[in-house]
Amino acid sequence: MKTYPNLGSSASNDNNSRRSTSTTRAKFALRFIRSLKEMKKRGHVSNNSSADERSQRIKAAAYSSMAHAVGPRRAWARALLFKLQRSAKRHRVLTNMTRKMSRTCLILKQKKNKKKNKGINKKKRVTNGNDDVLLNQTDKLRGLVPGGKAMDVCSLFEETAHYIKCLATQVKVMQDIADQLSPK
Amino acid sequence: MDPPLINESSFSAANPSAYSLAEIWPFGGEPGGVSGLGLRMGHMGQNPSGLGESSGNRDGSMEESTVTDQSGGGGGRKRRDVSSEDESSKMVSTSSANELNNSNGKRTKLAGSKHENGGSKAEAEASSVVGDKPAEQASKPSEPPKQDYIHVRARRGQATDSHSLAERARREKISERMTILQDLVPGCNKVIGKALVLDEIINYIQSLQRQVEFLSMKLETVNSRMNLNPAIEGFSSKDLGLQAFDAAGLLFGSQAPRDYAQGSQAEWLHMQVGGSFERQT
Repeated sequence: MKTYPNLGSSASNDNNSRRSTSTTRAKFALRFIRSLKEMKKRGHVSNNSSADERSQRIKAAAYSSMAHAVGPRRAWARALLFKLQRSAKRHRVLTNMTRKMSRTCLILKQKKNKKKNKGINKKKRVTNGNDDVLLNQTDKLRGLVPGGKAMDVCSLFEETAHYIKCLATQVKVMQDIADQLSPK
Repeated sequence: MDPPLINESSFSAANPSAYSLAEIWPFGGEPGGVSGLGLRMGHMGQNPSGLGESSGNRDGSMEESTVTDQSGGGGGRKRRDVSSEDESSKMVSTSSANELNNSNGKRTKLAGSKHENGGSKAEAEASSVVGDKPAEQASKPSEPPKQDYIHVRARRGQATDSHSLAERARREKISERMTILQDLVPGCNKVIGKALVLDEIINYIQSLQRQVEFLSMKLETVNSRMNLNPAIEGFSSKDLGLQAFDAAGLLFGSQAPRDYAQGSQAEWLHMQVGGSFERQT
């Protein structure tokens, strides 16, 4: 009750300085809270999912609401949404299967992924040079920024800048919501 | 695919080289393009056979580099254009420069009509394919990004060919982005060296992502605790806060389009806050 006006006033303060950031902030907060509420509603009906699963779902909701708030203009938002949708689909397919089957599938997939990663690393290590460290780090950055694998360095940096801004906003908003909801 | 179909009768359509160059550089501000044009015309006039081939090729590559310079990205199609252009310029080199000049007028007409007919038929005839290209190329450089690169000039002692110019522009762009990133990441301003800066950026992103994970766990516990006592849901102050926020959300949803039209966002934010207060009390 006390924190809410705080949130609103900070948003309006931001509005004076940086309008675009504040609008994405408001959009993200609203979307995220709506999805949280929905999750809570569904939690009343079926309370059999584990805490870990639920926190994963909240994380996915946070990321997807951020991407929705940013809009489809940014490459990273598009990539993030695509990734989330794909993983949600996979999750649905997996829940339809029996648990054992799903576990074996997951293990197999992880193994495959590990193999793939190793292959890529070996290939890239062949290209030696003075700026090997730089290349390595750009690759790391590519892994961190969603959709970064398909970008050139220039747009990668641009997207990274925007992504960092949005992540910071997201963390701030989530912190505010957690503070507001937690008991004192 | 193109060259065998181009015979003498359709030859007027087969030389986009000089025409497209003249179309691409109407400003005359870019030294590379203008000099390229002059160079090409000179070569055409001097050696109507044999040697013109190599010069045509070189000009083609040069032009490609400048064009990519202008509208960076999407090099695939341009490369194809240039390659076909090379072939056509080879054919041009076997003729005299006079014919080349005469055919320009005819060719513009032809290209215009073909372009009006639409691109669906373009693949049927090779001549129409060639005729479409100059229109494409002429439309490309007129885009605004051209202004970004015109200030890229070689300083004393720097290489002046278009490749190094483009590379320098790219490097400048990257370092510009790097400084923007440095401003965003706290404590990154004092770090010197690209590798260290990148390290800082990566660490910052990772920490933010970890924070998101942690916060989602925290929110999960809070959310589930509220699930445990649904009976007093209506009375708990936290839940009331949540509902107030959500009511504001509904308000936001209904008002958003109108306010975007009006452009007065500060006002409606205050209105929202006031409305939620009323609901709370």
